[in-house]
Amino acid sequence: MTDLQAVLTSPGVIVVLTALVGMGLGPTARAAVYLAGLAVSALVLVGYEQGLAISFALVDAPYLSVDLTPLRVDRLSFIFALIFHIAAALNVIYAWRISDRVQDVAGLAYAGAAIGGALAGDLLTLFVYWEITAIASAFLVFAPGTRESFGAGMRYLVVQILSGLFLLAGLVLFVSSGRGMAFEAMSLTAASGELDFAALALFLAFGIKAAFPFLHNWLQDSYPKASITGSVVLSAFTTKLAVYALARGFPGADPLIYIGAAMTVFPVFFALIENNLRKVLAYSLNNQVGFMVCAVGVGTELAINGAAAHAFVHIIYKALLFMSMGAVLYRTGTVKATELGGLYRTMPATAVFCIIGAMSISAFPLFSGFVAKSLTMSALGYEGLFFVWLVLLFASAGVLEHSGIKIPYFAFFGHDSGKRPKEAPPQMLVAMGVAAALCIGIGVFPQALYAILPYDVKYQPYTAAHVVTQMQLLLFATLAFALLIKFKLYPDEVASTNLDFDWFYRVPGRALAGWVSGASGATFNAFWAIFSGRVHAIMERIYAVHGPEGQMARSWPIGFMALWTAILLGFVLVIAFFA
Amino acid sequence: MNLAAQLPVLPVVIPLVTAPIAMLLPNGRAPWAFATIVSWLTFAACAFLLQAVLGAGVISYELGDWRPPLGIEYRIDLANALVLFLVSGIAAVVFPFAYRSVQLEIDARQTSFFYCALLICLTGLLGVTITGDAFNVFVFLEISSLATYALVAMGARRDRRALTAAFNYLIMGTIGASFFVIGVGLLYQATGTLNMVDMHDKLVGQSSRVIDAGFAFIVVGIGLKLAMFPMHLWLPGAYTYAPSAVSAFLAATATKVAVYVMIRFIDTVFGFQFEFLGAAFTWVFLPLGLAGMFIASLVAVFQDDIKRMLAYSSVGQIGYMLLGLSFGTVEGLTASLVHIFNHALMKGALFMAVACVVLRAGSHSVKAFAGLAKRMPFTTWAFIISGMSLIGVPLTVGFISKWYLLQASFAAGHWYAGFLIVASSLIAVLYVGRIVELMLLREPAEDGPYAIPAKDAPLSMLIPMWFLVLANIYFGLHTELTGGIASRAAEALMFMAGGAS
Repeated sequence: MTDLQAVLTSPGVIVVLTALVGMGLGPTARAAVYLAGLAVSALVLVGYEQGLAISFALVDAPYLSVDLTPLRVDRLSFIFALIFHIAAALNVIYAWRISDRVQDVAGLAYAGAAIGGALAGDLLTLFVYWEITAIASAFLVFAPGTRESFGAGMRYLVVQILSGLFLLAGLVLFVSSGRGMAFEAMSLTAASGELDFAALALFLAFGIKAAFPFLHNWLQDSYPKASITGSVVLSAFTTKLAVYALARGFPGADPLIYIGAAMTVFPVFFALIENNLRKVLAYSLNNQVGFMVCAVGVGTELAINGAAAHAFVHIIYKALLFMSMGAVLYRTGTVKATELGGLYRTMPATAVFCIIGAMSISAFPLFSGFVAKSLTMSALGYEGLFFVWLVLLFASAGVLEHSGIKIPYFAFFGHDSGKRPKEAPPQMLVAMGVAAALCIGIGVFPQALYAILPYDVKYQPYTAAHVVTQMQLLLFATLAFALLIKFKLYPDEVASTNLDFDWFYRVPGRALAGWVSGASGATFNAFWAIFSGRVHAIMERIYAVHGPEGQMARSWPIGFMALWTAILLGFVLVIAFFA
Repeated sequence: MNLAAQLPVLPVVIPLVTAPIAMLLPNGRAPWAFATIVSWLTFAACAFLLQAVLGAGVISYELGDWRPPLGIEYRIDLANALVLFLVSGIAAVVFPFAYRSVQLEIDARQTSFFYCALLICLTGLLGVTITGDAFNVFVFLEISSLATYALVAMGARRDRRALTAAFNYLIMGTIGASFFVIGVGLLYQATGTLNMVDMHDKLVGQSSRVIDAGFAFIVVGIGLKLAMFPMHLWLPGAYTYAPSAVSAFLAATATKVAVYVMIRFIDTVFGFQFEFLGAAFTWVFLPLGLAGMFIASLVAVFQDDIKRMLAYSSVGQIGYMLLGLSFGTVEGLTASLVHIFNHALMKGALFMAVACVVLRAGSHSVKAFAGLAKRMPFTTWAFIISGMSLIGVPLTVGFISKWYLLQASFAAGHWYAGFLIVASSLIAVLYVGRIVELMLLREPAEDGPYAIPAKDAPLSMLIPMWFLVLANIYFGLHTELTGGIASRAAEALMFMAGGAS
């Protein structure tokens, strides 16, 4: 019973229930209740002893016996659960009186499910929370109510559910191969060297949510079309829950190193030519998750620390950037680079916060990105993965180009668009201010972050070598940007549609799906035509006997019933006598 | 005299003593509230009793301090403790449920009589289960049956056919009871005792025509009471025209208790000492069980009255219990006991869902179920979940039953029975699926006799109904209560049967 109580008062459950309670409240009361719920939940989380795991039998039947571990707190799950709380609280502040009831409820339920997923100790619990994140977050994409966002929302939902199905398939394969449901580190190959399909299904499920290359399009498709607050929330949870799942399930899986490296590179080019600034951020998100995936693939203690630390700081500064773009969208109605510029005159605070976020993501020393990213880079260096290290270095420069400079430059400086919007509303400024303070605070006092990382840290980010290397990189990248702009070589902001890999499944894929469904329908009809005649004849015969007027169903007179009884008595007597 | 020592007699005494009080209460809410509280007290007594039996093994209680075999003995082992728990549990759920349904379906002047009869019926069912005395079984069987005839007849306010159904039931039930008492008389002739255990001890080693005849009368008599195919013809009428709450109560308890009596007589009284038992298993229980599974289920597919459909389905489900019994093994007996428990949960919930529909639509024709999901979503889903349980979908109790039954049939070497069990489950898919399709996919009638207001059943009905529905899932996931106790009970029964000689 105490176990049940512990599960019912676990952070994920508290936050999801809080979200539901808010359904019946006004906007201010809702924000207050949400912040209180998150505070209580965070206190519960901090109060747990490390290594706590609560298990009980879900099914205890002769054909199946399944143990659940709905709650597991160790250092890896703790840091993710903690940052999810912070992100959720920031969003509640930011969204107060900006968004509507549906988005508030869906947003917090989504956050709660992500928290619950991070604390899940078995695959079934993880699956349940995985699906809740998918469904709750879809509401955020639907929220603007436009045709475009509806389409994106549907595509988003299909992909997320697909990920859930892979997770379910992996879960079933795990249970049926007798390995139970515990969610622990696993390997893609069995001991004999063959592919392990159970692990592979889970790998794909996590990979879809982490937006691996070629599985990534849902992200750039949906995040820019979500509502103002929606994209802030979305940026925090889905991909980071996937990073957590990868770090838990596949630490040190070699393919992840190369997948991660690829993820860091290719979005750079798309981000450079993209006009919609929220879409630029979506590509940059992709690139950032690549760093974490790569670190998980390296799998050493230092690298896992790097992935966790990167996820932690990334959630804050990415949310900050999305918040600043959200503020711009809120005041001007657009986030297209071609239509913006010169906003610093009337939105100075937003501009400053945006620049802090940009400097964090670019990993300037004394900003949060620096203390996290250097862990990953060092881990690569120690493992001697020089080529991958170079790729990530290039990607870091790319980050600076598209997120560090492009976003603030085109929105707040650049050519003057003539727009003179008001400064962002106060609740947005408060949320951005807190996020910005965290960015700088972590950058200046990295030991606070290092203390909660999954493994003990003996790492000093502020050595001369680290700082100098990073500053060189940053200065040369900045120089490159300045020169490109000066000589008008930087890709112009043009209002165009850039084709990504999703063209392949939107155009030929769609035709193929249509053909397959048509063909299978025709085949089924052909077979059914053959069978239905026979089945019909058999059914008629059964009906004649068993139908309401058939012998078997008629209401017979009492005498008849008594006769049956007598016959049966005679029969049993005969048997008893002659046995 | 302390109450704990008297615990074994409480399940019978509480409803028996309070039934006349219910009749003296003024019509309306009072008798219902009173009967509900009594049913809860009875359930508590049965739950304590089950707990006590789990600790002590067998509890023997001498009524009026008369030593058995002369006096009447209440003898409670795991098998009947489980059935007592089930019957009183169903009563504790159905009694609170009944209020609104009874208000609609029964003449307001009869409410105190109704709850009185319901309590007497409960007394009888619990008495049949608890007693260790063969003649006492007959007495309680008659107590419960007489009350049941009256309860079925009270459906006449809505449909006069209830009177015919009750009359048919009366005649057939009386024939069954008479056969049973003739059988007990013959055994008394042979042994000079009525105490079951004592009777068994004296029967062992004897072989005479008297015993053979006694066996035949008892099997046919109880077979009639439990609606063994083809002696089931009274059942569809009685369940269809009885007031809905009564249908729910009877479908979940009456035939189950009769199956228990059959098990008790075969295992405790005759105890596998006789060759005719094996022959009866092979030539009576097995073929009739299979016939019931298929023929009654097929009939259910074509019914256009939901209550009649569920009644035929019950006849089919009783086939499963007889099948398990006919294997003559511990596994088979376990499967039968488990299915007694589980079938009560699913059929109780299904009949309760129908009662909810009757409350709003005034009809139990299938036509009233068209588009029900839009009108009464909670009722619809209660029906769907318990219907899936009836089919035997995994994670529900129905699956547990089928699982035990399949294992038993393979263990007993009847591999073909395994296939037949699965095949007959497919027929259940047909008759349940037909209604589910109606409820979910059809448009509700806008006007005419089957139009329903978009208003779900009242909470006083929804809560008890969902309690049973959730029990369908809970016991589908946790089988230590059902499967665990049933297999220990079956082992004890078989051990006593084989080891006492």
